[in-house]
This record gives sequence, structure tokens and C-alpha cells, in this order.
Amino acid sequence: MNIEQLQLKNYRNYEMLDISFNDRLNVIIGENAQGKTNLMEAIYVLAFSKSHRTPREKELVQWEREYAKIEGRITKRNQTIPLEVMLSAKGKKAKLNRVEQRKLSNYIGALNVVMFAPEHLSLVKGPPQTRRRFIDMELGQIQPTYIYHLGQYQKVLKQRNHLLKQLQRRQIQDKTMLAVLTDQLIQHASLLLERRFVFLDLLRQWTTPVHHSISHGTERLEIRYAPTIEVSESANKEKIESMYTTKFHELQKKEIERGTTLIGPHRDDMTFYVNRKNVQTYGSQGQQRTVALSVKLAEIDLIQSEVGEYPVLLLDDVLSELDDQRQSHLLDTIKGKVQTFVSTTNINGIHHETLREAQLFRVENGTVDT
Amino acid sequence: MYYPEPISKLIDSFTKLPGIGPKTAVRLAFFVLNMKDDDVLDFAKSLVNAKRELTHCSTCGHITDQDPCAICQDTSRDGSIICVVQDPKDVIAMEKMKEFNGKYHVLHGAISPMDGIGPEDINVPDLISRLKDEEVEELVLATNPNIEGEATAMYISRLVKPSGIKTSRIAHGLPVGGDLEYADEVTLSKALEGRRDL
Repeated sequence: MNIEQLQLKNYRNYEMLDISFNDRLNVIIGENAQGKTNLMEAIYVLAFSKSHRTPREKELVQWEREYAKIEGRITKRNQTIPLEVMLSAKGKKAKLNRVEQRKLSNYIGALNVVMFAPEHLSLVKGPPQTRRRFIDMELGQIQPTYIYHLGQYQKVLKQRNHLLKQLQRRQIQDKTMLAVLTDQLIQHASLLLERRFVFLDLLRQWTTPVHHSISHGTERLEIRYAPTIEVSESANKEKIESMYTTKFHELQKKEIERGTTLIGPHRDDMTFYVNRKNVQTYGSQGQQRTVALSVKLAEIDLIQSEVGEYPVLLLDDVLSELDDQRQSHLLDTIKGKVQTFVSTTNINGIHHETLREAQLFRVENGTVDT
Repeated sequence: MYYPEPISKLIDSFTKLPGIGPKTAVRLAFFVLNMKDDDVLDFAKSLVNAKRELTHCSTCGHITDQDPCAICQDTSRDGSIICVVQDPKDVIAMEKMKEFNGKYHVLHGAISPMDGIGPEDINVPDLISRLKDEEVEELVLATNPNIEGEATAMYISRLVKPSGIKTSRIAHGLPVGGDLEYADEVTLSKALEGRRDL
């Protein structure tokens, strides 16, 4: 799929913008603080209806303006589809084919985006929530109902934590409601875990060969998922449910003492091993970057295999962070099939033949010149 | 101060209603000024009477002008089956259907620890004592199909289970008369989950 056209209104430092893109490589050049990342972020918001940089949507609206609007025209399976995300103090509206979508899960997935920004280099060494977020976002793109179930899980979790706090403070004694919320939580937790297992399987399938090739056949990457219960990844939902039930039963006293839910998908983690060594603790900077890159590249193929179309790739300020060899591996992979947006301060750092067919955009203080 | 006090007070009152913003409130207030005196008086009386004469039925919790309410008093209705709902409006929705001939119990809310609402804050204790006093065979749990409504239904079902009274939960999924292709993924997956043998 491609983004043909993007229109911004009152978005961050863009008062008004209307640009059309090349269906291959688009290079966005500009000094720091001119709006390169804002432009990339706008495409991201168009896909996910939220930003990867901030949870506060107010920041996306230009200073002293009522609303911000992002409109895009994408092509997907030879069809042109208009998308629109509008953000204001009253909330946000997402329109697909000019029809407002009340449920986020009906909107997300229309435009598939893989973003690679400097913060993604920390996928390996960062805190566990970085990795959980990665799984949730990617899974949500290929399976819209996952987002709904994740939302439901988080709601039950919040209710349950409140109840555990009340039990901890002895404001209530009766544990019937705890049992109800535990059952409800297990229902959603098992569903999430089962889907994450399937996703992990796909991720491994696509990541291992990519990593093998980037490392010139010297490294073997292994991805392990660490759930808070001991269960095999091939287990079905019923099996997962019964494991959770046993574990929650064991932990009940401790959970009340601590006043919070101690197990569940919101506490799971994922670890990367290269040649049987944990990259997070023993890997070099370079190895950690290679792993992050492999995972991101694998995502492109994973989405293609699940959705049937290549996603749009956003490379925000990362090309310069990679050495020549990794850079060319990345550009070779996407050559001719993935619409790509690259932002950089200096184009001289990129040597690759794909650059010849690229369209250049110069960003200066919220305006774009082609 | 743009408005004389009587009208600004009226505007203020209108904004207290749900779905009425400041602009609509101004429009409504000025409309009232142009209404016939009798109409305004009737309007004011209905407001006061609705509030003064309506109470909650001491048996089922439904809004009523007589206690117990007309439904609870109706001997032709089947008292062995009770439909548990969250809101008086839900009773009216069920009644419109004209197919349910049992009685009701209105909870006035759902259990939500986050908002500090426990079982005793909604009409649950009354329901339990009702089950002891009356000959009830089945509870139809018709709370809303969201997290809180679901949890409330599960809670009541657990509480009632030892007594041997049957509990059932209303189905959710596709709307009747709708087209499958227009259903969203979540509703569709719920419908698939709740499929039954033919």
C-alpha cells in the first residue's frame, strides 16, 4: 500500500500542508527542529490514530488552535481510500472512507505502517513495556480485534487493582467480587496470550533468516517470550486459562497484601538471544542494533504475508545511526516494493542506488518544498 | 452580566440537563420566554410532580407513582422469573417488547470498584432478600454487555448459585435484521463465540 497524498491542518508546526508522494522512496531533508519528525509522526497518527511520541493528544494540536486535522489518500489493492484523523479538545474522530469509525479497532489496520525511529533501537535493551508495546501495536495492525480485547483486559485489570487495594486496606472483606474479576481477567488474559504466542511464532519465522543474512551468517537469533505463568506456547486457550486459574489461586493472599495484580500479559516480557547469549545483558551495542533492525525488517514481510500488502515504512533519523553495511542491507530489502519515508539532516550520509529514484522534500520551519 | 438574573438562572438550570451545552441552554431559555403562560406553568408543574410523585418501588426498584409498582402488583405476571436490569429505562425497553411476562429487578447501576461502587451500593441486597421471600425459579441477568455489566451479572450468579435458583445471561451478537457484512469485527467475533446448535 501507498500514501498518495497527505494534508495537514494545525498539526504541530504545520499550519497548512498538502503534499503528494512518490510511491517508492521519499527523502525528507531539513535542519533540526524544522518539522521532519512531525511529518513522520503525522503519517503514524494517520495509521494508528495516536502518536508514538506522546500520549497527550493536545500536544499534536498547534498552539492556540481548536483542532488538528490529518487527511490522507492511500492506495490499497488498486483502490483509493481516504483516511482522516481529527484531534480536538473534545476528543478525536477517525474517518475511513469518509465515514466516522467509533471503534478504534475498525479504523486501525486500514493503513499499515512500520516505523523505525531512534527510540526503537532500544527495543532490545529498553524496559519490558517497550517490547510489550511493540507486540501490541504490531499484532493490532494485523488483527484488529486484538486491540479491542487488549482494551477490555486493561479495563478489567484496572477494576481488579482497585478492588485489591480495597481488600488490602480492609475496606471490604468479601472476596466474591475478587473471584468474579479474576475470572473475567483470566478470560481476556488467555485470549491475549494465545494470540501473542501465534504472533511470536510468525515473528520468529521472519526474523531469523533476516538476522542470519545481516550478520553474514555468523549469528543465530532466537526470540523467547517470558509469560508470567509456566505454559507451553503451543497450549490452547483452555490450557492457558487453567494455568492462570491455578496461579491466581496460589497468589491470592500475596496479591491482597500488595494490593495489585501480580501476573498477566501486562507483566510479560520478550528476550533476544544471539548464539545462545542474552543480547540484552551480554550483547554489544552493535548486536543490539542489529537485532532491532532485523525485527523491524521482518515486520515488513510479516505484515505482507498476513495482510497481503506491504506496509509503508517510516525511517525517522535512523539511517545515519546505522553503519554502511546495515544501511545498504535495509535499503536492499525495501528496494522497489515498499513505499518508504526517510528523514535525515544530511543526504550525503546515504550512499545507495535507490536514492536515484527518490523524491526529495526540504522541510523548513513547517513548510515543505519539493 | 449580559442577561437579567431570572434568565441567567434559567440558562443555568438547563445546562444541568444531559446533552445540553451552554448554547442550547440559551436557545431553550429564550424559547421559554416566548411560550404561553399556561404552557410554562404546566411545564414547571410536570417537572415538580415527576420528581415529587415518583418514587422507587420498594420491591423491584423501578420508578413508580404507587408502591409497589404496577408490574409488581400485577398477579397475571409470572413471579417465578425475574429479569435483572441496570436502569429503569431498561425495564421500559423490555416492556415495549411485550414478550416477557415475568417480573423485574432494577439495580440502579453496576458494580465498579474503580468508582467505589460495591454490591451493597446497588440494589443487590434487596434482590437477595427478595429471592428468600418469593418463589423464584430463574433470574435473567440483563445487565449491559460491557465489563462492569458482565462482572455484575457474574457476581449475582455466584451469589445465587448455592440456592439452586437458575441464572441465565442474555445473548449478545448480531442485531436482528442487520446484514452480516456491516457488522464490525468485534461484534461478529462475539456472535461467532455465542453460536448454537441447530
